[in-house]
Amino acid sequence: MDFGTIELTPEQQEFADEVRSFLDALVTPDVLEHERAHGDGFNERVHLALGSRGWLTPQWSPEDGGAGLDPLRRRILELELQRHRVPDITAGTTNLVWTAVDRFADPSLRDELAPRVADGTARFCLGYTDPEGGSDIAASRLRAVRDGDEWVLNGAKMFTTGAQNCQYTFLIARTDPELPKHKGLTMFLVPLAAPGVEIQAIRTFGGERTNAVYYGDVRISDRYRLGGVNDGWAVLHGPLDEEHSVGTASDGLADPSVGRSFLRPLEVALDETLAWARETGPDGSRPVDDPSVVARLARVAVELEAGVVTPGPMGRVKGSLAIVEGAAELLDLTGAVGLLSPGADGALGDGDVDFAHRWAQGTATYGGTVEVFRTIIAQHVLGLPRAGYPGSKVLM
Amino acid sequence: MDRFELRRQDFSLDEDQKALQTSVAEFFAKQCPTGTVRAAEPLGFDEDLWRRVLDLGVASMSLPEARGGDDATLVDLVLIAEELGRAVAPVPLVGHAVATRLLARAGASDEVLAPAARGDRVFALAPAAVRNGRRQLVPDAAVAADVLALSGDKLALHSAAGPAPHVANQGSTPLAWWAPDPGQERVVLAVGDEARDLHRAAVAEWRLLTAAALVGLTEAALHLAVEFAKTRRTMGVPIGTLQGVAFPLADVAIAVSGARNLVWKAAWLTEHEPGSRPELPLMAFDYAVRTATHGTTTSAHMQGGLGFTAEADASLYFLRAKGWSLLAVGPGENLQDIGDLITGTD
Ligand SMILES: Cc1cc2nc3c(=O)[nH]c(=O)nc-3n(C[C@H](O)[C@H](O)[C@H](O)COP(=O)(O)OP(=O)(O)OC[C@H]3O[C@@H](n4cnc5c(N)ncnc54)[C@H](O)[C@@H]3O)c2cc1C
Repeated sequence: MDFGTIELTPEQQEFADEVRSFLDALVTPDVLEHERAHGDGFNERVHLALGSRGWLTPQWSPEDGGAGLDPLRRRILELELQRHRVPDITAGTTNLVWTAVDRFADPSLRDELAPRVADGTARFCLGYTDPEGGSDIAASRLRAVRDGDEWVLNGAKMFTTGAQNCQYTFLIARTDPELPKHKGLTMFLVPLAAPGVEIQAIRTFGGERTNAVYYGDVRISDRYRLGGVNDGWAVLHGPLDEEHSVGTASDGLADPSVGRSFLRPLEVALDETLAWARETGPDGSRPVDDPSVVARLARVAVELEAGVVTPGPMGRVKGSLAIVEGAAELLDLTGAVGLLSPGADGALGDGDVDFAHRWAQGTATYGGTVEVFRTIIAQHVLGLPRAGYPGSKVLM
Repeated sequence: MDRFELRRQDFSLDEDQKALQTSVAEFFAKQCPTGTVRAAEPLGFDEDLWRRVLDLGVASMSLPEARGGDDATLVDLVLIAEELGRAVAPVPLVGHAVATRLLARAGASDEVLAPAARGDRVFALAPAAVRNGRRQLVPDAAVAADVLALSGDKLALHSAAGPAPHVANQGSTPLAWWAPDPGQERVVLAVGDEARDLHRAAVAEWRLLTAAALVGLTEAALHLAVEFAKTRRTMGVPIGTLQGVAFPLADVAIAVSGARNLVWKAAWLTEHEPGSRPELPLMAFDYAVRTATHGTTTSAHMQGGLGFTAEADASLYFLRAKGWSLLAVGPGENLQDIGDLITGTD
């Protein structure tokens, strides 16, 4: 057990300083302003600059386009990226998908993409969710039909976040409707520039942009198949488990919770509310002079702290609950002034409490809903029996 | 606070900690089955078990070596307290260990400290400052004649001829009304700010160890409910397959795992960086208390009517969830203390 600060060697300190000054210069106010207005989770200039340093794939060797960073330096980089609020959704999905590409792609495709993933010119999004429902990924309906050396794709995917900034989507498609549902699936890395792909923007009330992607007679080479035909479920599992944080060992540096990033906007909103509470209000008193306000702030702070330390898949649910409930409570405390939009007369900070409350709602859904995670916890942590639904996986 | 500070986040136990955890868990599993817990009701004190707990050396181990201890850390103590909680053991270990450490920290003479460190007598801590000599409910005071209390600007050890009369209570703990008696023997340990700081630190430790005990208690309750849900059937399926049963239990598991980590982190930082996050032990307490309240309610409920019967072991955990939580100053007051620390309005 150890929660101590880490004494850096002069070389490590130099690295930390370098990262910080690089990001100070790179992440200009217009980057953050763009992200707030568009919710892309991505900024091309920033992404490519990180790629030029090997920091998109920091653990890869410099020969492969990475930076050869050890775990401590990777953690330093990660914290500074967070501190600078670097839009990182597309970087994250690209990394997730890479594990499957690395393992299952045709070697020539893999070798072609590796340097481009590292330099930031190849980016991947996740094409899991069907319009008919995303929790049951294996029920995917989008059809892929073989035609010689090609596949023809027809159907749609909802919520393919980042598609407008990506070159490929990691697509789950039904290749054999006759087989049991988990067995008739195949994974593809579909070039989004292929004719017949249509990307339509969808906005959330949390400020994110995501997309509906339509596939109309999209023809792709068999080269873009990942893993065996009808073997998609196995291919999907690596990235999916990683996203669900199943079976990852800790190096003593990483955040214990998969939901850690959910809590960042709550931290900002809480700090903003604490600052507000110490100011003298219009009626001449300070909110902190009211013990009930102090107690309610304390409760939000406790929930935040609990979210930070709740481990693994449990932390994913807790992180979401903590911000969903915490941000609502902070709004109730601040009153109408908390509702003001960024830039509006009298808004609190950058409208941080308003933002946290809206943004929080998505955390309960993307990356697997909290209900899906409760199912994982019930079965895999508590060992409760699995329900037998008509669509449950048939193991035999 | 820099929320992006580079720190280790290592929740793993080393070999010694694992060995301690295992041996204490085995001890309680063997020496303190639920029958023992029931047999000790309503007082909540099993003297025999207490002797055996003392023989393990747990009362003195966290004293400095120079004072007859083993320099064990607060982390070791929370590991022990968690196992005690899992067994809902009727022994006054938490209060006694906190009082003993307080005596040592206040520089009490060997003559005063030795009986506490050896466990010749049970020592207790009065959680609230004494006002105008008014009485307060003091945990363990029904088995402890020696009570550490803050009155006015003095921290003193009050030793009476015998413990105060027990008052029956929900958690079956040795709770008693206590007030300083002018006729009692009194050893002043500290005065002024030092007295207040020592007392505040001891109360924080009390809350932290209680939080650890509540984590163990809640996990034991959860375990009962999970086993029940695997075998109890409805409409042809085990109830545990139903989301209406499984999800609430998953929520308890989520809370327990977080409360444990919060307790560990608070213990480590209090031990190794005292003063750096004074709110953390109090936060761990607040969270563990709510986890225990909600967790034992859920666990009892998932066992249906049976879970509501006095005979069911679920009742042992349910009754102690509040029964233990409210002893070291009410959670409401604890929340106010946290708020004062984070808003800087002490
Ligand atoms: C901002 C945003 C970004 C996203 N980005 C991506 C992306 O990049 N790629 C991608 O593929 N998807 C993405 N998603 C989709 C997301 O993964 C799905 O929304 C999610 O998996 C739920 O699917 P659904 O919306 O179809 O809801 P449904 O699956 O239809 O669920 C509806 C409700 O029923 C509950 N429910 C469903 N099944 C169960 C069950 N078995 N047990 C208990 N409750 C259940 C759900 O929890 C939910 O509350 C994104 C979503 C959002 C909001």
